[in-house]
Amino acid sequence: MSSGLTRCLVYISALTSILLMGGCNLDTRMSTFVTKGPVAETQYDLFMLTVWVTLGIFIAVGGAFAFAIIKFRERPNDDRPMPSQGHGNPLVEIGLIGVSILLLVIIAVPTLKGIWYTHDTPEDPESFMGSWYEGEELAEEESEKPLIVKVIGYQWWWAFEYPQLGITTANEMVIPAGKVVHLELRSFDVIHSFWLPRIAGKVDLIPGRTNSMWIQAGDNFRRWKGKQGVANPMEDSPALRADYANYLEEEIHNYYYGQCAEYCGDSHARMLFRATVVDDGEFAEWVIDERTGHGTPDGKSWDDWYAAYDNNPESLTGDLNDGLKVFMGRGKCATCHVVKGNPRALGVAGPNLTNVGSRMSIAAGWLNHRSEEDGSIDLEKQYDNFYKWINETDVVKPGNRMWKAGGGGIGELIDENGELALLTDDEIHKLSLYLQSLK
Amino acid sequence: MSQTETEILTPSTIPSTETHVLKPERSQLGFMRPDHSRSVIMDWLTTVDHKKIGIMYGAIALFFLLVGGVEALIIRTQLAIPENDLISAQRYNQLFTMHGTTMIFLAIMPLNAAFFNFLVPLQIGARDVAFPRINSFSLWAFVAGAIVINFGWVLQALQVMGLFEAGGPTAGMTDLAPAMGWFGYAPLTGTNFTGAGTDFWIMGLQILGIASLSAAMNFVVTIVNMRAPGMKMMRMPVFTWMTLVVSLLIVFAFPAITIALGQLMFDRCFGTNFFVVAGGGQPILWQHLFWIFGHPEVYILVLPAMGIISEILPVFSKKPLFGYSIVVFSGAVIGFLGFAVWSHHMFTTGLGKVATAAFSLLTMAIAVPTGVKIFNWVGTLWGGRVRFSAPMIFSLGFVWMFMMGGFSGIMHSSAPADAQQQDSYFVIAHFHYVAIGGIFLAVVAGIYFWLPKMIGKMWKGKLSTWVAIFSTVGLNVTFFPMHFLGLLGMPRRTHTYLEGFGWETYNLVCTIGAYILAFGILLLVIDIIRCFRNGEPAGNDPWDARTLEWATTSPPQVYNFAKTPIIPARDALWEDKYGPENRKITHEDDHGHGIHMPSQSWMPFIAALGFIPVGLGMSLMQAGIPYMGYVAIFGLLVLGFGIALWAIEGPGGYHMHPEVDAA
Repeated sequence: MSSGLTRCLVYISALTSILLMGGCNLDTRMSTFVTKGPVAETQYDLFMLTVWVTLGIFIAVGGAFAFAIIKFRERPNDDRPMPSQGHGNPLVEIGLIGVSILLLVIIAVPTLKGIWYTHDTPEDPESFMGSWYEGEELAEEESEKPLIVKVIGYQWWWAFEYPQLGITTANEMVIPAGKVVHLELRSFDVIHSFWLPRIAGKVDLIPGRTNSMWIQAGDNFRRWKGKQGVANPMEDSPALRADYANYLEEEIHNYYYGQCAEYCGDSHARMLFRATVVDDGEFAEWVIDERTGHGTPDGKSWDDWYAAYDNNPESLTGDLNDGLKVFMGRGKCATCHVVKGNPRALGVAGPNLTNVGSRMSIAAGWLNHRSEEDGSIDLEKQYDNFYKWINETDVVKPGNRMWKAGGGGIGELIDENGELALLTDDEIHKLSLYLQSLK
Repeated sequence: MSQTETEILTPSTIPSTETHVLKPERSQLGFMRPDHSRSVIMDWLTTVDHKKIGIMYGAIALFFLLVGGVEALIIRTQLAIPENDLISAQRYNQLFTMHGTTMIFLAIMPLNAAFFNFLVPLQIGARDVAFPRINSFSLWAFVAGAIVINFGWVLQALQVMGLFEAGGPTAGMTDLAPAMGWFGYAPLTGTNFTGAGTDFWIMGLQILGIASLSAAMNFVVTIVNMRAPGMKMMRMPVFTWMTLVVSLLIVFAFPAITIALGQLMFDRCFGTNFFVVAGGGQPILWQHLFWIFGHPEVYILVLPAMGIISEILPVFSKKPLFGYSIVVFSGAVIGFLGFAVWSHHMFTTGLGKVATAAFSLLTMAIAVPTGVKIFNWVGTLWGGRVRFSAPMIFSLGFVWMFMMGGFSGIMHSSAPADAQQQDSYFVIAHFHYVAIGGIFLAVVAGIYFWLPKMIGKMWKGKLSTWVAIFSTVGLNVTFFPMHFLGLLGMPRRTHTYLEGFGWETYNLVCTIGAYILAFGILLLVIDIIRCFRNGEPAGNDPWDARTLEWATTSPPQVYNFAKTPIIPARDALWEDKYGPENRKITHEDDHGHGIHMPSQSWMPFIAALGFIPVGLGMSLMQAGIPYMGYVAIFGLLVLGFGIALWAIEGPGGYHMHPEVDAA
């Protein structure tokens, strides 16, 4: 009965694993199984190698173990002689140790290769800014470098700076398809970890030091040709180029999900981020958009708008103007947030809000408004999300600094009598409309 | 039952012909020693008997196992569905922090300590451990640490009931329970990120460290010095060997965490800058110090489990352990290599290529001695006669489940693959297969094996089979899907998650599994209670076992062996029962000297009690509560006072003359 029990347990575990593997989809938003880049692919290949090796060991050792349990079990009225009281066999031991070492070498050699490959940002001429970036002229020395993105972790959001391009965004990074991107990882407060599973495994952001990693969404031309079976790596033709462009368009251009992977305090679970992978043209357009920033809601120059705001704010009418007034005034948003273009919105304590209306999510990826059908923004949901975030930011992200910043947060706003006076529904409504218009 | 005659040992009365039966004596301080007290409570508080201390370790550890289990169930319930708001983010973070801390330091380590205490002197034929009063001190220091570390829960409960409020002098009391993860990565442990809970955690862990260190040194000395004649090192039971290795690991590993915790305490209480970035400190230093302790700690937890399995498999296969010397040696190699793999917990921190490669290869290397043990366990069964008694069922389950945990460990050793697994649910799956599938099943096997020896009663009925079924099925249903969860991108330590990432089904299955596992543990508790209440007398050797502890009575007398045995061979009892004439156990003649028993003492208890005001006082002082520094100083005085009186009260001791040799 009891050996039956052991077997029963084995069957149950096997059955569970089959059910789980067969019944569930492995192509999910943050899957490490379906990879979209050479780093994650290398990591996945190594993982599968370890899976096959250990599966082999499992079958061999587990088989011997199960066999021994069944074969040598005590039977009723067992009249076999007492088992021999031997203490083992050195040759068997040494043999098994030898085999184990051999099996580990099978893992060790590709592991070493993988460590070296995934560690150093490769010198890939096709990824140098000069060879693909279609925007404004770059400094000479930058054209020989890949795109650099500085990732800075905060409790609980992400800043993405593009030093070569002079732009900063938050929580949703944009990167070109098929190009090496070099990331410099730093943290403002505690340790965070940058994890974009389909493109690359994680590297930590540690205060007081700069870590680096490289990511690449999709293969470059050369690696792709290798996978297509093109024998000569130098081969190039318009037809191949078109096929490659098609591969990037079909398989790589997408919206990728990432998340902080190192516990970083109260709202660690709500520190997500996104990466939008675009083609070279779209990337250049995005950079121009980010650099240009925003004008005033009614098309005035900022000087004129502020002249009116300072002297006669009543003259600025309409929901968007009202929203901007809350942004600059009662809401104190501009103390912590940058909106490119707006000469008085220069605070850097919070996420950069330039083009926040074009992002598919807010609150570091927690509140989403990307429609699943066509990847466009669901405006109704976007409005609701902005409203919710401003209205109850402490519920959406407990412990965050926008709510309580020691006298400066929107959960601590006071009126002229010193009474607590949170933003009114109308103010939040208009502020949400204004933020939605930043695109 | 043996007739016992007791003789008090005083400087003036050696030897004495006078017969004293269980009569206490005055210590050199002039106080009555608490020996032979009729008060049960006083007897247990002051005991120096390794068996009673072991049983207390076991009972307290089982209590905390249930506490940690309830914490885990709340965690799993919260995660059953996406965007659940059963508990707040902060409460969740406190729960996983305390779940980890409780299970490691307050459940598994003391469970291991329970076995060390109860078994090691019996297995080596000794009367007690080398330093019985230090043993008592270790136990009570452990209890003090457990109280300090859990004090935040008490305050939090009072707060919920409205009996405690953070205001006025206690305004600084935020974050009452620790919430920075059981490995407390700096700078999250800094004063600007977490509150009082962190201080309770630091002080509690520091006290637990002192308890572990003093216990470990005691066992090293005991095993090296107190073996019965003929019990050569290579004749020792493997469990005793593993105790020795683990004790050495504790002696070498705990100083690292002691230093790290000391630095952290200085950072928090006195404004130093070891880990404060703004002051030029290095948060990464904490990780190195912590894991230099933390990885050996993993082996501190698992080697005793391996020792237990190496005792049980031979008994129920009727064969000696296959490759005894290689099993012992591989245990020592694991202990040694355990100090050289700490950075595999830090593959994603940017160690650089060479360090990553080195730690990757060393981590693979440690798989070899671990594999050797599994081969030898299979070899032990091979050609044996396998009986499926309860301890054996759990041991066989251990080998399967531990193997699974080992395989995911090999997967982690490949650093680039680990970049995807680190800090995801894959890691959670890995170490729970090791911790529950490995250590927990082994401990349960050990309980089923040795409890009849400890209490003298035999298990009743077959409930053990259901315990095995529910705990093994529950374990697999809970943790197998977590491999997939991790590889599908779910990070650990997240109090909730969004819909649409493909994690919903897995999480629900995991939660169901957790309840199945919990039911299995409930059955275990019921079975233990049934054994205590209804068990039939076990007899000295109910399993037809092989090692020396089964040669004495169940439960063993306070003096363990009426006469010191002389050990002619490994597997001493087996040889005594079935071996040739020249391998029978013989006994030393004590020439009427009797057995020298240690006196009981209040002092270890009093000294350890001092840790509570030290721990709480330091923590509350950091929170800004007035006069708490004086409380800490008072605690130190109590500690010093206890140790001083302990030193001058004199060792005492008395002689016993068991007339009938129970063995």
